[in-house]
Amino acid sequence: MGSRWTWRLLALPGVAWLSVFFLLAFYAVVAVAFGNQNTLSEPVPYWNPLDWNVGYMLATLENIWQGGPFFKVFIRTFVFVAFALSLALLIGYPVAYFAARHAGRWKGLVLLLLILPFWINYLMRMLAWINLLSPDGLGTRFLSTIGIERLFISADLLAAKGGWLEGQPFTVIMALTYGYLPFLILPLYASLDRIDQRQIEAARDLGASPAGAFFRVTLPLSRPGILAGMVLIALPMFGDYYTPDLVSSSTKTSMIGNQIDQLTRQGSSKVEGAALTLVLAVALLGLMFYYLRSTRSADDRAETA
Amino acid sequence: MSFLRNPWGKPRFLVLVTGLYIFWSLIPVALAVLFAFNDGRSRTTWQGFSTRWFTGASGSVFHDPALQGALKHTLFLGVVCVLVATPIGVALALGLQRWRGPGGGTVNTVMLLPLVTPEIVMGVALLLLFLQVLPFVGLGSTAQAIGQVTFTISYVVVIVRGRLVSIGKDYEEAAADLGAPPHDQLLRVLLPLLAPAIVASAAVVFAISLDDFVVTQYLSGDASTTTVSMLLYSSARAAPTPALNALATIALLITLATLGLAYLVYRRFATSDEAAAMAGVEV
Amino acid sequence: MQGEIHLEELTKQFGDVVAVDGIDVRMPGGEFFTMVGPSGCGKTTTLRMIAGFERPTSGRIVLDDVDVAQVPPHKRNVNTVFQSYALFPHLDVAGNVGFGLKYKRLTKAEHQARVAETLALVQLGDYAKRKPSQLSGGQQQRVALARALVLTPQVLLLDEPLGALDARLRKDLQVELKALQAELGITFVFVTHDQEEALTMSDRVAVMSGGRVEQAGTPREIYEEPATLFVADFLGVSNLIDAEATPDGEACALRVGERTLRGAAGATDARGAVKAMIRPERVLVEAQGAPGENRLPGMVERAVYVGSAHELHVRLVGGGLLKATIRNDGSAFAYEEGTPVTLHLPADALRVLAPAPGASESPELADDRAPE
Repeated sequence: MGSRWTWRLLALPGVAWLSVFFLLAFYAVVAVAFGNQNTLSEPVPYWNPLDWNVGYMLATLENIWQGGPFFKVFIRTFVFVAFALSLALLIGYPVAYFAARHAGRWKGLVLLLLILPFWINYLMRMLAWINLLSPDGLGTRFLSTIGIERLFISADLLAAKGGWLEGQPFTVIMALTYGYLPFLILPLYASLDRIDQRQIEAARDLGASPAGAFFRVTLPLSRPGILAGMVLIALPMFGDYYTPDLVSSSTKTSMIGNQIDQLTRQGSSKVEGAALTLVLAVALLGLMFYYLRSTRSADDRAETA
Repeated sequence: MSFLRNPWGKPRFLVLVTGLYIFWSLIPVALAVLFAFNDGRSRTTWQGFSTRWFTGASGSVFHDPALQGALKHTLFLGVVCVLVATPIGVALALGLQRWRGPGGGTVNTVMLLPLVTPEIVMGVALLLLFLQVLPFVGLGSTAQAIGQVTFTISYVVVIVRGRLVSIGKDYEEAAADLGAPPHDQLLRVLLPLLAPAIVASAAVVFAISLDDFVVTQYLSGDASTTTVSMLLYSSARAAPTPALNALATIALLITLATLGLAYLVYRRFATSDEAAAMAGVEV
Repeated sequence: MQGEIHLEELTKQFGDVVAVDGIDVRMPGGEFFTMVGPSGCGKTTTLRMIAGFERPTSGRIVLDDVDVAQVPPHKRNVNTVFQSYALFPHLDVAGNVGFGLKYKRLTKAEHQARVAETLALVQLGDYAKRKPSQLSGGQQQRVALARALVLTPQVLLLDEPLGALDARLRKDLQVELKALQAELGITFVFVTHDQEEALTMSDRVAVMSGGRVEQAGTPREIYEEPATLFVADFLGVSNLIDAEATPDGEACALRVGERTLRGAAGATDARGAVKAMIRPERVLVEAQGAPGENRLPGMVERAVYVGSAHELHVRLVGGGLLKATIRNDGSAFAYEEGTPVTLHLPADALRVLAPAPGASESPELADDRAPE
């Protein structure tokens, strides 16, 4: 009904927009990364692949490799993200499990409270913690009263001087966890909610204990949801610069995002910044497509079910 | 540990964890909102209730040009974003859903990519675009608006397309059968049926635009292009007054009100025709 | 006559799948024409091609001497009642019914009069302001009808419109639809998988299978004179018997085991392995040992009481199973289980079915399907 072009015409504005402001923008990164810079340290992009100058790209790869100046930042980013992901999963899974399977009458309210952080400005949520953890903040006072501060200092989780907000890796990891947890809980919830209660009952019927049924039925079935959720929050976490900036603002805790930000937006060398961005984007490309593929097959499975 | 094991009751351990999580998740923000109403300059010591940071004579959101400017600019960008992204997104959703032949999969992937691209990558890409490729536009409000539209289109498409799938093509065929040419099938039948989803996606776009940070910051120009998010970022570690909390609270209330309104509209219009659709289509 | 449709070598292919395989059908104007067949036989696809929702791969759709195969649906004077009704949820009943009238350039008064008139025709005059979600299934179906009929099409297409209704409502609406068609005098093209519906409502029926028309004719023709095995088996119970045929004058000598029966209907000039068919209501049940031609001895294996009749499942001495229907006329029932009987298959009711070239699945002699 209607020729094929009628409908495609509707898609045209969107396609044109995304081609220019997304695809072309991305190519600008490529062209600058494979480009050069002029005497004013401004980038000179090379649009034609045949002209590409691999100098800056190679330099960047060397920089993030062992011994290079970005190596520490690179490793630190991985460590932070790994810890934050683990903590998020540890906290998020039980919460999602509760919401999906045991909330009963309270399900609507619980879901609302879990979705709420989505719509609260991320920076406001960080601002709230800055307020609490500042030297005279409620949080700082509370934690030192109940002895946590002393405990952490002696366990070397907290550097002795400076307080919570000065260059503390622990604070950054907690902030990342806090910031991105809500974005993990919802995919986990969706995946757990989809599990057919009858499969669990069947397992119990066949003699499994509650713990057994969980580990042998529920957990494996929720695995795709776990992986998808982790990827979903890992992607922005790798590029995060504002969280370390807000809760730490020290080079001791800077992540790759901070490096990119300094090179590009703060202007010290856009070419190198573009190169580093490109490296990051390529590294994450695999994760991005994995996530897209996994949501598509989840949709297909849901449709046939 | 027998008190935790109760096969017919709710596992208390889970209730505990969930309760603690929700507390940990929301209380800090609640406190931040609370201190917006603090009578003194402190953001950490309660000095009594007051609305001075909202409407007071000096230093309040209503009277501080920097704060006011940020709020106005944020709302301006939000409105522009909705007005541009929603129609483009709806059209793209329709075009994608009915795409016949090759190319549809590629367009679909390109449409989904902004949803999974880390914001810093988008920020840098757009920054370079506006500096190197489109210098006549340059950085500033226009760039910020364009940047926000670019990644919010995808949200509109996903939301509208979901509704399109559940509507199916029966209604359009019926309209055609009764004599409606293709543009009327769209205007008289499809769009009215899509209206709840369009409203919902507009609200989502508005909320996302209001809260956006990275892209908006990257594409900002002079001080007049500061948004609430940017102001929160730059002032957070300085020694701001509770006016900052007040600003954040206002933005939060606007976001929640918009979403709440859209939810109500969606519920009212979607359930009645969803029921009819289900009764008819699920034969 | 207006509203006459000719389908000429109409084909529709979806990729590798041939849904409609070069069919030729003539639907005379003003008749109630039904296409019936199992799921996947191509009847719905054909209907959709007549409506214009599918474009034929090849062939012609001639409506009153004009080939409309390439005409878009909104330009054809043909209207459809959908299986799901597809009533517009955002419009009320009057809005739905009046939807297509906007393209007829009527004055407001004319528009309202037409809508009211058509709603009265389907007995929904008081429901004009209701929304579709507030109506029952049967009422929704009537609105769908009204919405199509208000445009006075030459042809009305109905795609299994009674499928969603319960049995009682279905029977009532069958009668109403038939009466409506007779009153309006326009061509109805009806699609159903229910063979009983096809027989009771239609002036003419096309039985379809695998994208082809197996047979087209009046209900009486296709029921009593099925041309193929498929048609015989699809409509009602068929009682098929494998036999060896030899032409014998105007009839056919059918060798069944040790006996020879005379078949005087169908393909009486057939030769070789054939199937013979007789309807259960034509099978006469007689006492054991009754003499005469076309008699087969057997024993009652089951006697099923269906209220208006008894259905006997008789196991023949030769091994097969035949069903016979005995109407309940109030007299004592003499054929309980275990009774030995003789079945008389009158020659003019015993139909020889020509062997289908490259035979498709033929049901076995033991036809266990209950009569519908």
